[in-house]
Amino acid sequence: MLIRPTGEDFRTIGFFLGRIFVVVALTGLVPVVWAAAAGEWHPLGSFLVMVGVFAVLGFAGIRLAPSTRRLEWSHGMVVVALVWLLVPAIGSIPFALSGHFADPLDAFFDAMSGLTTTGLTLVHDLDHLASSLNFWRHWLHFLGGQGIIIAALSLFAAGGGLTLYYGEARDERIFPSVTSTARFIWAVALAHLIAGVAVLSFVGVAVLGFGIRRAVFHGLLVFFAGFDTGGFTPQSTSLGYYHSAVFESVAAVLMVAGALSFGVHYALWRRRGREVLANLETRTILTTFGLTLAITLLGLAATGVYTSVFGLTRQGFFQVLSAHTGTGFATVPAGELATWGGLAFGGMAIAMALGGMGSSTSGGVKALRIGLTFKTITNQVKRVLLPEGAVVGSGYVQSGRKHLTAELSQTVMTVSLLYVALFFIGAGVGLAYGIPLDHALFESVSAGASVGLSVGVTDAAMPVLLEVTYILQMWAGRLEFVAVFALFGFFVAWVRGR
Amino acid sequence: MKRGIFTPFVAVLAAAWVMAGAAPPAAAQETVPVPELIERSAALSGVEIELVGELVGDYGVRSGGTVWAQLNDDSYAADPVASGGALTGANTGVGIRIPSDVAFELDRPGGYRRVGPVVSAVGVWRHHDPERGGESYLDVSSLTVVRLGRALEEEANPVAYVVGMVLLGLAVVLWASRSRRA
Repeated sequence: MLIRPTGEDFRTIGFFLGRIFVVVALTGLVPVVWAAAAGEWHPLGSFLVMVGVFAVLGFAGIRLAPSTRRLEWSHGMVVVALVWLLVPAIGSIPFALSGHFADPLDAFFDAMSGLTTTGLTLVHDLDHLASSLNFWRHWLHFLGGQGIIIAALSLFAAGGGLTLYYGEARDERIFPSVTSTARFIWAVALAHLIAGVAVLSFVGVAVLGFGIRRAVFHGLLVFFAGFDTGGFTPQSTSLGYYHSAVFESVAAVLMVAGALSFGVHYALWRRRGREVLANLETRTILTTFGLTLAITLLGLAATGVYTSVFGLTRQGFFQVLSAHTGTGFATVPAGELATWGGLAFGGMAIAMALGGMGSSTSGGVKALRIGLTFKTITNQVKRVLLPEGAVVGSGYVQSGRKHLTAELSQTVMTVSLLYVALFFIGAGVGLAYGIPLDHALFESVSAGASVGLSVGVTDAAMPVLLEVTYILQMWAGRLEFVAVFALFGFFVAWVRGR
Repeated sequence: MKRGIFTPFVAVLAAAWVMAGAAPPAAAQETVPVPELIERSAALSGVEIELVGELVGDYGVRSGGTVWAQLNDDSYAADPVASGGALTGANTGVGIRIPSDVAFELDRPGGYRRVGPVVSAVGVWRHHDPERGGESYLDVSSLTVVRLGRALEEEANPVAYVVGMVLLGLAVVLWASRSRRA
């Protein structure tokens, strides 16, 4: 029997939503300051509206003050799912008021794409966009990649932090306390921010020949999008804008750093290199990256798209790395990517679907699930082939030695299958609109795995239903389904429960 | 490019200089719209073509005597969104590599509150240039400024300011009343 949520349930959810909105309102002050400093008065007004809405909802939510401030598991999941719907909805206000989007849905699409670190965009005339709005697009990547909940948990030690933490698709705690883990994640991000922006800016001045201010601007925005595996770029031609292998190399390092789990970051910080190499995720991602790179390069070589080895490897490597880490930076135009075809196209699509490591800023199925799925299958085969009674090892290394249980195998394979279903649903909707199968599948995987590479399907003129499908794919894919299902369950219980 | 050189006076002089004799007759080359160029990129490899469009973003002054820029051939080159231009989709641009002596002194590139100079760039289209790691770009040999860049007026949205301030005021009231209750 379904139990209808009580007023106390709603107050609890509203209270925690309120606290998170207050934190988001505070982060929204950054683009306010940016717009004021740049003298961009039109966007400044829209940022004030956005911050005002977040602040009013935040303090109104906090006033609900439930009798207990402990968060049940189901409440936490509902809070997370709602946060990831409402923050982009309110965060899209500056976009909607900018005049650069055809309608509020398009603005919401970009805000969702930014927050989920996807990188697909429907913006018109990006090259004339205000710098503060451009900053806000990339700042959304940073907030979403590091985790809004993580930001909130870093600032206040709330009861129920654990459920919020897991709800945001993070399954690895580095420290016993969730708050300490959250603070570590932000410390890693800030360390990379300082180093990344410094190096990118230096390359901008010394290699690209930009002035210092513009070099820092590009460095900051490309850092946000690269480290948080987002994919937005300051200019319309993505990373191809820079025409520099050096700049791409620095961005590639940031993309890899973003795709590493924070557990691996911690191990690297503690100089535990052996642990990193023994990690199942590291081994899996190195293998899948090698395979998808080989497939893509073979495909490109077969079609003769590039006439030099350097050209082939540079472009192929960067595109596959961008796909596998879920970043979505491109150095070739969408129209050209669409013509790659065959093996190269397949290699890219597989790389996007697989994604980076768990508890990272990447999307996709994730290396841990791929590794565990492979281990489950090989263990099954071994059990069939070995004599009865033979013991098949089921241990694996991921932040210490762990045991692959039947329950874990089932969970891993269920989530992996849900991703496959998500990709096919999006492709199905694309097909219904007459988009060729390969393009429909590519774009759907890109949305569902939070990648952002496009073959041109994502366009301001795209059908509304397809746009909504991609929005839902970005949302569900980023949260890895559980919180989304919990929200639907909550509403069903509200409507049909007793 | 250094900021100090972007004075209107220098820009006009530069345009006049370029128009006066630096450019060969544009009619000798095929003028290719950028969207078509992206579609026929391989077919046009090594062919001398003319692109017409707005220079946007940055001028990357590289060692070796070249300047990199992005040339956009879209409706926003004439009417950016900020000046009330119609929404016609994403920008369509390609990279161009200009010898420093040809680039000479170009007006500031387009961006927020600014339409960049619209130029006619003639040069050889390099499709997946093996010498540049597979990049595609126009290797410019001559450049003509078709239209000088211009500043755009920015109008603040007073309604947004009023709504924003009212909301922030309400938030302060909610916060203060909560504090009093606590």
